[in-house]
Amino acid sequence: MESAAFKVPAATDIALSLSHVSKRYSMVTAGSGELKATLLHPMRALRHRQPHATLWAVRDVSLEIPRGEFFSIVGANGSGKSTLLRVMAGLSRPTGGRVVASGRLSTLLELGSGFHPNVSGRENAIINGLLIGMTRREIESLLPRIIAFAGLQEFIDQPMRTYSSGMYVRLGFAIAAFMEPEILLVDEVLAVGDGRFQEKCYDHIASLRERGVTIVMVSHDLGAVERFSTRAALMERGRMVRIGDPHEIVQHHLERLITTSPEIRRALDEAIEEHPEILEAAAFSSPEAQAAFERELEANPAFHAALAEKVAREGVPARRAPRVGTYPDPDSDGDGDPDRATGAGEQHQR
Amino acid sequence: MRPPGSRSLRNSWQLLAALTGRDLRLRYQGSVFGWAWSMVRPLSYGLVLYFAFGVILKAGFKDYPLFLMSGVFPWFWFQGAVQQSATVFVGNGGLLKKVRFPRIILPLSIVMGNTLQFLLTVPVLVIFLVAAHRAPHWSWLITLPMLFSIQMLLTIGVCTLLASLTVFFRDLEHITEVVLNLLFYATPILYDISRIPEKYRWVAWVNPYSVLAEGWRGAIMSGHWPGLQIVACLGWTAAFLVAGFVVFRRLEDSFADVV
Repeated sequence: MESAAFKVPAATDIALSLSHVSKRYSMVTAGSGELKATLLHPMRALRHRQPHATLWAVRDVSLEIPRGEFFSIVGANGSGKSTLLRVMAGLSRPTGGRVVASGRLSTLLELGSGFHPNVSGRENAIINGLLIGMTRREIESLLPRIIAFAGLQEFIDQPMRTYSSGMYVRLGFAIAAFMEPEILLVDEVLAVGDGRFQEKCYDHIASLRERGVTIVMVSHDLGAVERFSTRAALMERGRMVRIGDPHEIVQHHLERLITTSPEIRRALDEAIEEHPEILEAAAFSSPEAQAAFERELEANPAFHAALAEKVAREGVPARRAPRVGTYPDPDSDGDGDPDRATGAGEQHQR
Repeated sequence: MRPPGSRSLRNSWQLLAALTGRDLRLRYQGSVFGWAWSMVRPLSYGLVLYFAFGVILKAGFKDYPLFLMSGVFPWFWFQGAVQQSATVFVGNGGLLKKVRFPRIILPLSIVMGNTLQFLLTVPVLVIFLVAAHRAPHWSWLITLPMLFSIQMLLTIGVCTLLASLTVFFRDLEHITEVVLNLLFYATPILYDISRIPEKYRWVAWVNPYSVLAEGWRGAIMSGHWPGLQIVACLGWTAAFLVAGFVVFRRLEDSFADVV
C-alpha cells in the first residue's frame, strides 16, 4: 500500500528528507454547485472550463532532517508551515517533489481527533491508539501509564461527553506521546490546556528528544522554539527562506514579521495616530506579534510616542484579543483549515 | 499514502473490529430494546408489504410472508450498508485530516456493521420458516454461504465506490437514497421474476441485486440452486469491486484536502 511519494530508504542517518516539495490547493472546491452546473449546462461547462484559482501553500522546499534532531518551523500565519507538516506526515500528497520518511512516524496535529463523546475514555483511548497504528496489546500495556499521565484515573470509564476540554486534550496528548514514535510531528497542539500540563508536555517531548526521537515542531511559541530546538527554519509565503540556529531564526522572524504578517502590516499602513486601537489589538494578538512590536517600538520613536500618549490618556492598554469582525483572525493560517485556526485562536487568550 | 512498515495487518483488523463494535453499540445505546430494533425495522417493513400486497391486493404467492421476509432481510443489509457508506468519508472529515490510517477501513466497518446486524436477524427468518412448515435443505450448506459471500463482496464494492465518489460529488448521498428506493421496487423482492412482463424482464437482469434476491428466496423457500444468472451477478460483483478499489486508490490521497 505504499505510494510513489514514500519510498523505503536505505539505512541512513536522515530521518526525514524533502526534495523540492510543493503543495498547491485549488481555491474552488469541487462541490454540488459545480455538479449541478455541469449537469444542467454540459456544453457550457465544457466550453467555459475555468482554470481554477490556485494557491501554492508550499513551494519548492528541500530539507534534510537528521535522526535525533529537534527541528522547529516558524513563520507568519499563512506561510505554509502547517501544510508542510501535513505533507511530511503523509496526510496530504505533495503536488510536486518527494518526501522520504524513515522510521515510525507519529503526529500530534490535533489532540483527540476521533474521540467519540458517547464512548468512555478508555474505549476512545484504545480506538485512538489503533488509529495511530498500535496493536491492541501494545495499547493495553501502555494504558495505565497513559491514564496516570493524563490524570484521569477516576474518570476513564465515564463517557467523554462528561470530560472538560482540558481532560480531552490531556488524554489525546498522553496517547500520542506514549506510542514511542521514531519521528514525531507536532503542530501547535501544546497551545491548549493549562500551563501546568503544557510544562508536562514539553518535559515529555524533551525526554523523547533525549531518547533520540526526531521531532519536527511548528509553533508560534517562540520561547519553546528557542528552548528546545537544535535547528529552526523560517517560512514565508510557502518558501523556506532561512534555516539555521534557533535563536537567530527567531530574531530574524521577529524582524520580518513586520512585513510578513498581514495584521501587523495593516496596523502600520493605517494611520496609527488616528487608530491607536488597531496597533494595540495587533500587538497583543499573539505572543510573537507582541514581541515583534516591542522590538519595533524600541526602534521607532514615533510608535513609542503614539503609544505613550495613548497610555497617558487611557491608562495601560488591556491585553485582549482583537475584536471579532474588525480584524482578520490573526491565527487563521490561510490554508483553509478552520480547526487549526480555532485551536490556535485560544492561544492568545492565555 | 503511508510510509511502509508503520502498520501491521493485525492493527488494521483490530481497528476495523473496534470501529464496527463502537458504531453498533452507539446505535442502540440507551434504548430499552437495544438489539431488537435491528430486527424490528425489516420485520415491520415486511409486515406492511404483506398487508398491502398480500392481503389487500392479493398477490397470490404461496407462503407470502416467508416469500417477503426472505427477500426483505437481505435487502435491508445491502441497503443499510450502501446508504450509510455514502457519507462515511465526508462524515469523518476531521479524522481524515488529522490521522494517518488505512482509509478503506471506514467503508469496510460500515459493511461489517450491517452484516452483523443481518446475521442477528436470522432467527426471525427461522421463525417464519417454522411457521410455513419448511424443513431445512441440504443445499443450504452451499447456497447460503455462497449467496452471503457474493452479497458481501458486492456490498463492499458498491460501498467503496460510493464512499469515495461522494467526497467529490456530495449530491451522490441524495442520489443514492432515491436510487435505492427505486431499486427496491425494480428488484424481484415483492414479486418473483416470472411476474415481470417479458418485454421488461431485462430491467431485472441488468440490476445486480435481482439475481441475489431471486437466489435468496429460491434457496430459503425451496432449497433451489441459483440459476446460471449467478455468473452475471459475479460479473457485477467483480466490476464493482475493481471499480471501487481503483477509484478509491486514485482519490484516497485527496480526501484530506477536500473534506
